[in-house]
Amino acid sequence: MKRLWQIRELSTVAILILEIAFFTWWLWPDGGRTHPFLNWDNALLILKYSSIYAIAAVGAAIVIISGGIDLAPGAVMALTGVVGSDLFVTHGWSLPASMLAGIGVGLASGVVSAILIVAARLPPFIATLGMMGIARGAAFIITEGQYFDVSSRLIGGWRPFGLPADWVAPLVMIVLALIFQVLMTGFQWGRAVFSVGGNETAALFSGIAVNRVKLSVYAIAGLTAGISGVVLVLVQGQGKADLANGYELDIIASAVVGGASLSGGRGSVIGAVLGTLIFGVLRNALPQIPGATFYDRLIVGVVVIAIVVMDQLLLKKRG
Amino acid sequence: MDTVDGLEFRNVTKSFGAVKALRGVSLTVLPGEAHALVGENGAGKSTLLKILAGIVQPDAGDIRWSGERLHLGSPREALERGIGMVYQEMLSFPNLTVAGNIFAGRELTTRGGWLRGNDMRSRTKALLDELHLPIDPAAQAESLSAAHRQLLQVARALAFDCRILVLDEPTTSLTDAEADHLFGVLEKLKARGVTLLYVSHRMPEVFRLCDRISVLRDGVHVETVERRSITPEHVVRAMVGRELPPRSSRETRADAGLRLEITGLTRRPCFRDVSLTVREGEIVGLFGLVGAGRSELLETIFGLYPPDAGEIGIDGTPVAPRSPYHAAKAGIALVPEERQRQGLFFNLTIRHNLVLPDRTIRGDTLVRTERERQEAQDLVARWRIKTAGVEVLPDHLSGGNQQKVVLAKWLATSPRVLLLDEPTKGVDVGAKFEIHEIIRREAARGLACLVASSDLPEVLSLADRIVVMREGRVQGEIAAAKASEEAVMHLATSLERAS
Repeated sequence: MKRLWQIRELSTVAILILEIAFFTWWLWPDGGRTHPFLNWDNALLILKYSSIYAIAAVGAAIVIISGGIDLAPGAVMALTGVVGSDLFVTHGWSLPASMLAGIGVGLASGVVSAILIVAARLPPFIATLGMMGIARGAAFIITEGQYFDVSSRLIGGWRPFGLPADWVAPLVMIVLALIFQVLMTGFQWGRAVFSVGGNETAALFSGIAVNRVKLSVYAIAGLTAGISGVVLVLVQGQGKADLANGYELDIIASAVVGGASLSGGRGSVIGAVLGTLIFGVLRNALPQIPGATFYDRLIVGVVVIAIVVMDQLLLKKRG
Repeated sequence: MDTVDGLEFRNVTKSFGAVKALRGVSLTVLPGEAHALVGENGAGKSTLLKILAGIVQPDAGDIRWSGERLHLGSPREALERGIGMVYQEMLSFPNLTVAGNIFAGRELTTRGGWLRGNDMRSRTKALLDELHLPIDPAAQAESLSAAHRQLLQVARALAFDCRILVLDEPTTSLTDAEADHLFGVLEKLKARGVTLLYVSHRMPEVFRLCDRISVLRDGVHVETVERRSITPEHVVRAMVGRELPPRSSRETRADAGLRLEITGLTRRPCFRDVSLTVREGEIVGLFGLVGAGRSELLETIFGLYPPDAGEIGIDGTPVAPRSPYHAAKAGIALVPEERQRQGLFFNLTIRHNLVLPDRTIRGDTLVRTERERQEAQDLVARWRIKTAGVEVLPDHLSGGNQQKVVLAKWLATSPRVLLLDEPTKGVDVGAKFEIHEIIRREAARGLACLVASSDLPEVLSLADRIVVMREGRVQGEIAAAKASEEAVMHLATSLERAS
């Protein structure tokens, strides 16, 4: 059995706990007022917004483990959100149908990236960079600079499956994370992804259908970005073309902070999700510190570097 | 000590770990002569060249030029001492122009550091004219033909006023006509007084160009002979002449069925019209020197590349594997030449590595950890793989044990035909023996084995039958009982055809 300290996700959890403890102490209120950071409403808020990143990070982590990279998730989120809300608001489609259509667009964009990488042999960086531009551009063309007001079309007190609307994003995130964590660790497909990321040549020589594996990981990345975009629209209540701007870098950073190696073959879905929570807590707590407003991007950057450096030092020790 | 004119190696010794690459080599290259350095793969030629090029430092001994000791700490120093190298892997900078290649690292500049492009181009032009090369100095190096790129390296060496030009198997990727051109240039250089050190295993080239021939074998300088007083047969004998390892005494039953049958298999430009068979329980050796096309042949049988023509049959049924997956399904397994690059996953545990091909071919969906652990432990015990357990990564294993992992993972798929490409490359003697035993034992149980190797003693001791390839063609076939090192080497260097 693996020893406890060998489980990479635990160090991500440890960082998360330390982080929460730090902000709890730093933001401790005077007198008997409620804690501005450590309370249930705020926890749900962090979870809700982190989930948007986390859903897309599930696919991004799998792509990174396979030795690739996906720069498109932010733009694909915008496109799927726009398509879904356009169908719902202006074309009168039902909510489930329009959201499913949006997710379908996400899946399709992933498949297109995959074909560019597998058939046209483009480097993943280039293929998904192009897809990023195409998806964002398509979103702008569809909206023509306007936005689709989804929230006003939702019935007041909208409760999907009888649940509070705020829970939708975290629940979707948890379900997807569990499904793909199991697929990656308990199924031959997941092992094929790890083997392609670890040594693509050896994977080919071992009889693994490398192209099919690559196709599947980019399709999944498109799918999860699509789901994430649709959830984002439901959370924000608006479908607009500049949604999720720059999210791709936060998503990649989360996967890396969660243990994924950009050279492939290493990482986990759960780790990437925990990584988004680390950033979610930072984004939530830093603005509450007086005077820290202008520092938050800088601090996020320092945290990414610090965690990865620490991980590499630990890795040497475990060696 | 008396001084000798020319380039002198004095008692040069070099070890890599436990492997003694050079054991006190002393030889002299006279000024103005064309000197050949010949030997089998692994005889120490490359190591000697690397020392001369300043890439590798000798453990003991030194190199002198006209009695003066040369300190060759880096390739740069070697170049400044007038030693020009032309390597087998030719192209230095495909992305630069011809002139850029020639002056790479030694660009002509103004005092301010500005590149003097025009000067470099005109100097290049003069140099190329001298060599009768119709090449535009401003052309991209990658747009040139293989021969011109090879000659470009010669020109680069000459641009640095080299006193001695070293060529390491320069004709490997050249056509006959291209090689002819290269020889024309070399002969002209020789006439101008440039000293040539020519490394090759191709006897016709050596005998055409060189005045004297030095033979290396197992890191020892065997002899240096005058070309005029010697025959190619003598040189070949000197290259291989050593004690034969004990010959395997196994007999393949003549009535054993044909397991693998290859007819007219062709993949240009690697190999042409290759036909061979392997019977049930038979070990066939596939011998050839570097560039003979052995690896390419095995990889094509294994479905990594589609053949241009020809057929592959397993147990009398034609198969056309489109991928390694299909090949493995059809019962073909390949233990590749480079275990680090092609065989192992260093991010996965030994257990994952061992069961991966089997599970992939069976098309399993779920990972069954407990069953896998049991299987992996059985494989480790059965093939005596020395490891700290099945849940560790393969990077701590020795080369021999890594190779056993690659062998074991394919034997776990119960193949009908096992292809092995240099199965004991870079492993120690003990592991080599064990790997040979594994191959023999599996063959005794009926597995058909095709072993490609450039290690002649290995082929002779392991194989029942030896197929010799040279430059992409089958040159002949010899039953192991009748094979001698000379006979096989003659075929491989194409001195004569099998009688």
